[in-house]
Amino acid sequence: MLKTPHWEMMIVWYFFLGGIAGGAYFTAAIADIFGEPGDKKVARIGYFIALPLVAACGLLLIADLGVPTRFLNMLRVFKFWDPMSIGAWAVGVFGIFTFLSAAMSLSGAAQVERLRRAVSLVGMFFGFFLASYTGVLLSSSALPFWSDARLMGALFLASGASTGMAAISLILFLTGGSTAAGWRKVKRADRFSMIIELVLLAVFLGLLGSAAKPIVSGHFAPLFWGGLVGVGLLIPLAIDFVGHRVKVLSAVAALLVLAGGFVLRYVVVMSIQS
Amino acid sequence: MARTLAMFTDTSLCIGCRACQVACKQWNELEMEVPVWTGGYQNQSHFTDKTFRLVRFIEEPKPQGELAWLLMSDVCKHCADAGCLNACPTGAIYRTEHGTVNINQDLCNGCRYCVSSCPFGVVAFNEQTGTAKKCTFCNDRIHNGLGPACAKACPTESIQFGFRDELVAKAQKRVETLKGMGFKEAQLYGADSKGFLGGLNAFFLLLSKPETYNLPANPKLPGRNIVADSLLSIGSALLVGVGALLAFRSRGEKGEE
Repeated sequence: MLKTPHWEMMIVWYFFLGGIAGGAYFTAAIADIFGEPGDKKVARIGYFIALPLVAACGLLLIADLGVPTRFLNMLRVFKFWDPMSIGAWAVGVFGIFTFLSAAMSLSGAAQVERLRRAVSLVGMFFGFFLASYTGVLLSSSALPFWSDARLMGALFLASGASTGMAAISLILFLTGGSTAAGWRKVKRADRFSMIIELVLLAVFLGLLGSAAKPIVSGHFAPLFWGGLVGVGLLIPLAIDFVGHRVKVLSAVAALLVLAGGFVLRYVVVMSIQS
Repeated sequence: MARTLAMFTDTSLCIGCRACQVACKQWNELEMEVPVWTGGYQNQSHFTDKTFRLVRFIEEPKPQGELAWLLMSDVCKHCADAGCLNACPTGAIYRTEHGTVNINQDLCNGCRYCVSSCPFGVVAFNEQTGTAKKCTFCNDRIHNGLGPACAKACPTESIQFGFRDELVAKAQKRVETLKGMGFKEAQLYGADSKGFLGGLNAFFLLLSKPETYNLPANPKLPGRNIVADSLLSIGSALLVGVGALLAFRSRGEKGEE
């Protein structure tokens, strides 16, 4: 006798784009702070992926409200124990960080670079937050499957990381950056993230047991097993291990990872609401 | 805070007349709805944005095979630990000085997190106003010295209104009486302020197990897992972060072509 919140496609897109924005930003920040000078291009692309996506996230969230003109009411209160409240704040704050990092990545001056690294070091935590809090938000509801899923936030974070990195590597490929060492590094980081995601997904399903029914069997099962596990994780990993010499294949793998990230959000959000 | 007010719904006295439902609709000016065919006399399957009181008609199979009516006038439980109130990011959902839970319609922006957070599926979204709706415990009436409209209209005193401590004592006596009369399963639901959700300010006397009434036996607060889930997310962030760090730090292209 429970009610579902009717969070539909706008929220699926928000979860998906928020994951990419968070993942691309913290990958960029890590490349910027800990990488070599040659990784600057990776960082700049990451920041510039995050900037428009986080803006889109804000617009999607506002548009999905029952009374969009009242979106500022979210900022009337700050409840640190409430994922929806801190989430709304974090989208705004993270937006400021992405703007600052992206703007400062256009300059090569040493002072600006130092400042940008400092800003990105702090902003990175908001990136991690944006990629994962949406999972915790779902798991702190009264609904079955969502509230039974202990690793939802952890899984969303790993997926946000892999999709964010895939987005960076795809843009690098399209802009002719696939010859540089940065591209191989992003792909290596993405491989780590995908393996972590796969392991987390296995533990996630194991912990859920029969509570995972809405996604592992029935109407959404083909999408889950085929779209996420197969197309979104196993095939890109296989391409990565086997066909990494062919650059086009790597770009295809990145596209598949992005599709898998979308499928994950879609099956999780929609399966118990339809 | 003023002394906590409560509603006590004694289902053993309910005759299924639905006067409470009508009184609720009238007082709160809730629009009419097309009834839903539920297979029985019940005219909505669950609470809606326009039905805050709902008489449930439950058919309980008896050992001999025949069915017995269980009637229950259901309502928002006004939980002492309310999932909807914890979830609300705008502060629109608040607790009154009487202990009831209410939604400020001028602040609600329709994010619907409360809808997914109610362990009883009470809070409903209204498409016309774009806001969340539920029983107000007749907030306007209780602030003017009147009881809720449903309790006022109930002809059998199945719905009683009063101070919580007094009502709980009364309810406990009633359970004993009913048990003496042979209603072995008679029990209170949500009366214990040390029980689930800190006790319900609209509590019930049931003649069977809560599950028979489609009530959760042990409803839980949705926010109970936030800390654990957040820590697990931080663990995941560390793994992914270290992975990225290693990928970007490793100088040279060893192991890679």
